[in-house]
Amino acid sequence: MNKGKSFSFSKIFRNQLIIPLAALVLLVLFNLIMDPNFFKITLGQNSLGNPVLSGSIITILDNGSELAILAIGMTLVTAASGGQDISVGANVAIAGSVMLRILCGKGDNAEMQAPVIVAFLAACVVSMLFGAFNGVLVAYFKIQPMVATLILYTAGRSIAAWINNNELPIVNDPSFGYFGGFIPGIPMPTPFFIAIACLIVITLILKFTTLGLYTQAVGINESSSKLNGLNPKVIKLLTFVILGLCVAVVGFIKVSRISTINYSVIAKDIEMDAILAVALGGNALSGGKFNMYASILGAYIIQFLTTTLYKYKVSADALPAYKAVVVILLVVFSAPTVREWMSKTFNNLKGKSAKKEVA
Amino acid sequence: MENKKKAGFSVKNMSDTNLLLTITIVIFFLMYIGAMIFLKKGFLKPQTFFNVLNTNAALIITACGMSLVMITGGIDISVGGVVALVSMSCAVLLDQKGGSIPQAILLAIAIGLAYGLVQGVLVAYLDIQPFIVSLAGMFFARGMTTIVNNQPFNVAHEGFVALKDTRIIIPCLGSVNKKGVFIPAYIEIGVIVALLVVILLFVMLRWTKFGRRFYAVGGNRQSALMLGINVKFTKFMSHIICSTLAGIGGFVYFMHVGSGSPSHAMGMEMNAIASSIIGGTMLTGGVGNIIGTLFGVMSLSTIQNIVSSAGLDQAWWTGITIAAMLCLFLVIQSVVMAFKKKNS
Amino acid sequence: MKLKRLLVSLISVSLLFLAPGCAKKSIDTTELSQSDSLENGDLTVIGFSQLGAESDWRSANTQSMKETFTEENGYRLIFEDGQQKQANQIMAIRKFIQQDVDYIVLAPVTETGWDTVLREAKDAGIPVIIVDRMVDVDDDSLYECWVGSDFKLEGLKVCTWLSEYCKKKHIDPSTLRIVDLQGNLGATAQIGRTIGLSESARKYGWSVLEYVPADFTQTKGREVMSNLLEKYNNINVVYCENDNEALGAIEAIEAAGRKAGSDIKNGEIMVLSFDGVNEEARKYVTENKISCIAECNPHHGPRVKGIIEKLKSGQEPPKLSYVGEEIYVHDNAVDKIRIDNIEYSITVLELE
Repeated sequence: MNKGKSFSFSKIFRNQLIIPLAALVLLVLFNLIMDPNFFKITLGQNSLGNPVLSGSIITILDNGSELAILAIGMTLVTAASGGQDISVGANVAIAGSVMLRILCGKGDNAEMQAPVIVAFLAACVVSMLFGAFNGVLVAYFKIQPMVATLILYTAGRSIAAWINNNELPIVNDPSFGYFGGFIPGIPMPTPFFIAIACLIVITLILKFTTLGLYTQAVGINESSSKLNGLNPKVIKLLTFVILGLCVAVVGFIKVSRISTINYSVIAKDIEMDAILAVALGGNALSGGKFNMYASILGAYIIQFLTTTLYKYKVSADALPAYKAVVVILLVVFSAPTVREWMSKTFNNLKGKSAKKEVA
Repeated sequence: MENKKKAGFSVKNMSDTNLLLTITIVIFFLMYIGAMIFLKKGFLKPQTFFNVLNTNAALIITACGMSLVMITGGIDISVGGVVALVSMSCAVLLDQKGGSIPQAILLAIAIGLAYGLVQGVLVAYLDIQPFIVSLAGMFFARGMTTIVNNQPFNVAHEGFVALKDTRIIIPCLGSVNKKGVFIPAYIEIGVIVALLVVILLFVMLRWTKFGRRFYAVGGNRQSALMLGINVKFTKFMSHIICSTLAGIGGFVYFMHVGSGSPSHAMGMEMNAIASSIIGGTMLTGGVGNIIGTLFGVMSLSTIQNIVSSAGLDQAWWTGITIAAMLCLFLVIQSVVMAFKKKNS
Repeated sequence: MKLKRLLVSLISVSLLFLAPGCAKKSIDTTELSQSDSLENGDLTVIGFSQLGAESDWRSANTQSMKETFTEENGYRLIFEDGQQKQANQIMAIRKFIQQDVDYIVLAPVTETGWDTVLREAKDAGIPVIIVDRMVDVDDDSLYECWVGSDFKLEGLKVCTWLSEYCKKKHIDPSTLRIVDLQGNLGATAQIGRTIGLSESARKYGWSVLEYVPADFTQTKGREVMSNLLEKYNNINVVYCENDNEALGAIEAIEAAGRKAGSDIKNGEIMVLSFDGVNEEARKYVTENKISCIAECNPHHGPRVKGIIEKLKSGQEPPKLSYVGEEIYVHDNAVDKIRIDNIEYSITVLELE
């Protein structure tokens, strides 16, 4: 009996999901105690007379979507290459800029110049190409991911401005705003559904293909995966291309939200949050094994935290300081050395009490 | 071959370092001479060169610290935030709390040290990813800066203004402009501090046992352990030095702009990393040189100068050229290293 | 070893290059200035340090400068984008001094921290013209003159309009619940417009719930406004310190299921804004989504050119010059307002 219990305890402490879940529960409890209204959801109407839901929870689900989608791609990149892509924010700007360039064309056009789907596909192709550029540098030139993606990090927003000649085109068609806002008649924000769709797609891919297995194999030991007949270079490249696709989706949501773009501000610092989401999910940033759902949970925790802090009148500029404290606490608790120590202490306590019972 | 004799256990790394350093310096001089020949427009005046130093003194100092951390295989993206926090805190201390300049310098170093201690412990002893630790560090510093004061403001403290405006005139290098006014060539105090830091770190890394350990830890952790090097302590020290230098860099930055503002030093961490990379430091650790970092900073600034002087005045050109340059350096480095590996 | 030798020789060669270049230039400067002026012909060289390209207003401002100072008009413009960083702008001014420009035009990113570099320009005998935002320096002889908008007046214009509008529509001023989406803290436009609101609020007895910075951008405006709407459920006026913020605020209002408009008695949220450059914002005025915009004229080019021509002919330009600005509204409930005994007419924007 004693043995069984200690086993389950160490298992709990080693479980990857425990830390993010605990953080989520703490945040929920905190809000419940401080102000139960946090969880109130009201049904209202927007200016077009469509029903819309509003409330803090809806805000979290809405604004957290972009981060959750990026976390999917970032988890794969992290697992395969043991490094992170810091150019996603800049790539979002490029994807958004490409979409607007195609939708608005040259000069002032009141109508959309192309169907939204064409613009979106073009953005996907461009983002995947830039993803492939990062991937080639990492896989074939063996440059560390962070350094390789530093190139696009520096150039991305400039390229985005270049694509539209530094103009800020505006899409006037209200239907374009549906993807970042509400589809008439559906009271939930669309980005939430897009995030769900991405989640379903990645679940199916992980379930029915060997992508997940291969990525982890490459991340754990590149040379042994090579001996087992895998091509680590291609797999690394593939993860960057998938991240590129995620980036295009996020770029689409971002520009749809405001129907225009601001090159220097759009998706600013989102790369940091995306990496944080992966880390909060308990995934090792040095690569190898990963848990996709933990990363996505991590993304929503970040948004939950942000919304909570806003609620308590923390100014947007001071927000990072509070975020930092929470992040440090989380990573310290999930650090292997600390976990080891915690599970040991708990086991000892359990052991002692069990011994006492016996005595 | 005196290097080989002195380098002892990491001869191979040392020569890699030298190779990358040479590439950096050659490209820098080619670039500058090219600008002198084709662009003229002020590039012929020595002050243009000194202005590069004046503007980037703080970046040189922080980039040196960054190189040190990168040599041990780590990274520190909190330096930009620390610079902003230090300049804001010093500005508040001097302007509103009636502090003195020595107090401000102490405060700057203390903030840096405190950062180094916390990050060093978390990275070296708790084994947490340096990226995440310093990311949180960056968030914290940026947030704290606005908590200390969210408005940009000028410092009117008399002694400080005098210090800020102190110039070291370099004789014989001034010039007369077309209005007939003589403009002397000068450097600011920050440049002296920056050059001192460069020299000290260079000497430490090249000729002291303590310095050699950083290369050993970054090059191969296992063999460093076998050689009896305290890996954890060395990593800890790299963070201490890096953050302290960021603190000093913050004060130099503060001396350059003379004001506190939450938007100061935005993106400086990335410039520091880029400079280190251009200077031949590799993020995988074990390879790098402080002189290279100095040239990295100057190359970065010079390329920006060239781009806007060449009439490419749209803002995006700067970003694109810097990225192209980074790309070029990285590919050259990667190809050269692969070639060397094959031959050896 | 080979590398080292190569390195040493390279450095010495380049030093050789540098040294005679310097020596020659410092002694033989007349030759330099001659060759420089030959290169530029009779063009007047102007160095323009713009702070960035963060809003439509800014782009229009840059465009106006570029269109005014063309070679056909006898000018050569050296343009430097500061990318929102003061350090870049200081570097740019130093560069202009080294490039021997005739005039420097500076659109500063913040008001503070310019003393040193402006003194350098003055010592070099180059007149500096400040545009848009102001500089806060101890000695105002450091710059020749300033061209821009009276931001506090703009703020007062919008507030006076609001007060008159409330009178006309019989709205009790004490029922107004205002939030202020501020610009970048420390920018002249932010300071002036915020003061305009806070003074008026005191004067008319309005309550301002909160002042929050939203960086003059649409994204931030949207984010800040949606947070404010969650925090307070009784906001009825939002005072946005530029058009981009107003666009963001309107999105947030609509996303929260509220309506932007002048009818605050029936639960609409009134949006007040500044600039009037953005086409979409002007369209919103005709649709009554934005109730009032105080124009901020970005076309500084011609005014700056006028000043430079005055300086050339030895005249002294006025230290401060303001550009003319209008007030745009949706309906003619209020037809004119008076501030400090000066009357300002109001323009009703019609659908084109």
